[in-house]
Amino acid sequence: MRLAGAPDDQFYESLDVRLQQTPHFFSDAPLIIDLDQAADLVDPADLQWLVDNLRQRDLSVFGVQNATADQAEAARAVGLISLSGGRDAPLRGSRREEERKPDPAPEPEAAAPQAAPPPRTTTNKLVSTPVRSGQTVIADRGDLVIVGPVSSGAELIATGNIHIYGHMRGRAMAGINGDETARIFCQSLDAELLAIAGLYRTSENLGAELRRKSVQVYLEGERLRVDPLDRTQNRSGQ
Amino acid sequence: MSKVIVVTSGKGGVGKTTSAAAISAGLAQQGHKTVVIDFDVGLRNLDMIMGCERRVVFDFINVIQGDAKLKQALIKDRRLDTLSILPTSQTRDKDALTSEGVEKVLEELREEFDYIVCDSPAGIERGAQLAMYYADEAVVVTNPEVSSVRDSDRVLGLLNSKTKRAEESGADPIKSHLLLTRYDAKRIGEGEMMNVEDVLEILAIPLLGVIPESTAVLRASNVGLPVVLDDKSRAGKAYEEAVARLTGEQIEMRIESEERPGLFQRLFGRTA
Ligand SMILES: Nc1ncnc2c1ncn2[C@@H]1O[C@H](COP(=O)(O)OP(=O)(O)OP(=O)(O)O)[C@@H](O)[C@H]1O
Ligand SMILES: [Mg+2]
Repeated sequence: MRLAGAPDDQFYESLDVRLQQTPHFFSDAPLIIDLDQAADLVDPADLQWLVDNLRQRDLSVFGVQNATADQAEAARAVGLISLSGGRDAPLRGSRREEERKPDPAPEPEAAAPQAAPPPRTTTNKLVSTPVRSGQTVIADRGDLVIVGPVSSGAELIATGNIHIYGHMRGRAMAGINGDETARIFCQSLDAELLAIAGLYRTSENLGAELRRKSVQVYLEGERLRVDPLDRTQNRSGQ
Repeated sequence: MSKVIVVTSGKGGVGKTTSAAAISAGLAQQGHKTVVIDFDVGLRNLDMIMGCERRVVFDFINVIQGDAKLKQALIKDRRLDTLSILPTSQTRDKDALTSEGVEKVLEELREEFDYIVCDSPAGIERGAQLAMYYADEAVVVTNPEVSSVRDSDRVLGLLNSKTKRAEESGADPIKSHLLLTRYDAKRIGEGEMMNVEDVLEILAIPLLGVIPESTAVLRASNVGLPVVLDDKSRAGKAYEEAVARLTGEQIEMRIESEERPGLFQRLFGRTA
């Protein structure tokens, strides 16, 4: 969800209209607040107010992205994680190049002195215990590798790829920052939900023939593909 | 070294109190000094199942609030001199339990007893979290049906994250065991309930025992007799074997079954 400035009453009104139009679309889906155009939202109390208002509407906010240092701190104070990396990182780099050229009217946002962008580091996360119902595992700057079963009602979230070596009954969301090249690899598929860069499929439209198969999940244009990894499965499949 | 064992489940009515009573009596029968604590504040079932409800004067809450000494509240079992019961209050609610109070009582009990068995309330809220917080081991009581298995899975998540052992760096995690109760081979054979293998695959913890559905359980609890002390019943026998496994004995798993032969061996292999 991208904010343009601190939210006002009008924001909540139009949000409610949207939610009425598509009541189930967002419910319980994990949500990130994009602060790129809301640099004025820095007070933890305001952020908490926003989070409370969103959660009241059954929107599960768990993080912010494109936050300034102050915003990231405020986000941490209200229990949100601050996501970095992802596809915005190279964009920022090129914007910085432009700033060096003489520019008569710098954007107010860019005028704020900022440290050089942190190098794009990835930190992968490995979990070798079962992920239980009700637990959420987040890799906020890289790949997530799970060695063990993932229960129904458990949630895996990564900015990069997700690998599951074990029976997968939960929800997995890869490329959460919008990385459309992210993939999900799954040793034994029985998932409730699979998503890459926000595009998702639920168990209802995953197809019974893939159940318990080893698969990879990736984006092909605007289509989320779920392909068996095994060649023989591939042939008998299609 | 004394051990604190929590008997927990998430879902209500699956057989926690029955199991806590049977396990503590079984441990005491083996000669271990054992105390069983009722954490289900406000409901007070344990002392009934243990047959000592008329002997309760002071309770766990009185001790926590400093109104009674631990010695005054502990009730010695009349059948097994190695067994004691710490009953709970029927008039207070769960807020009367404090984390510091629980810790203090457990520390004091550790000095005297080999095993401290905690009968948890249902749910995953405060009461259940306090019952599991200081545990060294957990017996996760599960019925072979989907909702019970799912709740047990959530509880396993809490055991691995919201307990002292999970929070302390360097401590071994809580050792969790699965106790499958109210196992009805006929209904499983007919596909109405889940079989042992399906449950084990989801929960992925070692199997402590399988307790059959049995009218002996209700009969025993009506007369205030922990079911292990009823040596004729199959359920009593199954609890006895579960207790032996809890203390580290290797006993082959025997499950009455209307399924394929060879299942026992495979199950036994899994628990090793
Ligand atoms: N193996 C069994 N066979 C038949 N009945 C059983 C068995 N185990 C437990 N029961 C019955 O199930 C009911 C609930 O048992 P119990 O009180 O031990 O569950 P609980 O998990 O402690 O419940 P609560 O969540 O309310 O504390 C009781 O009536 C008990 O007699
Ligand atoms: Mg009970």
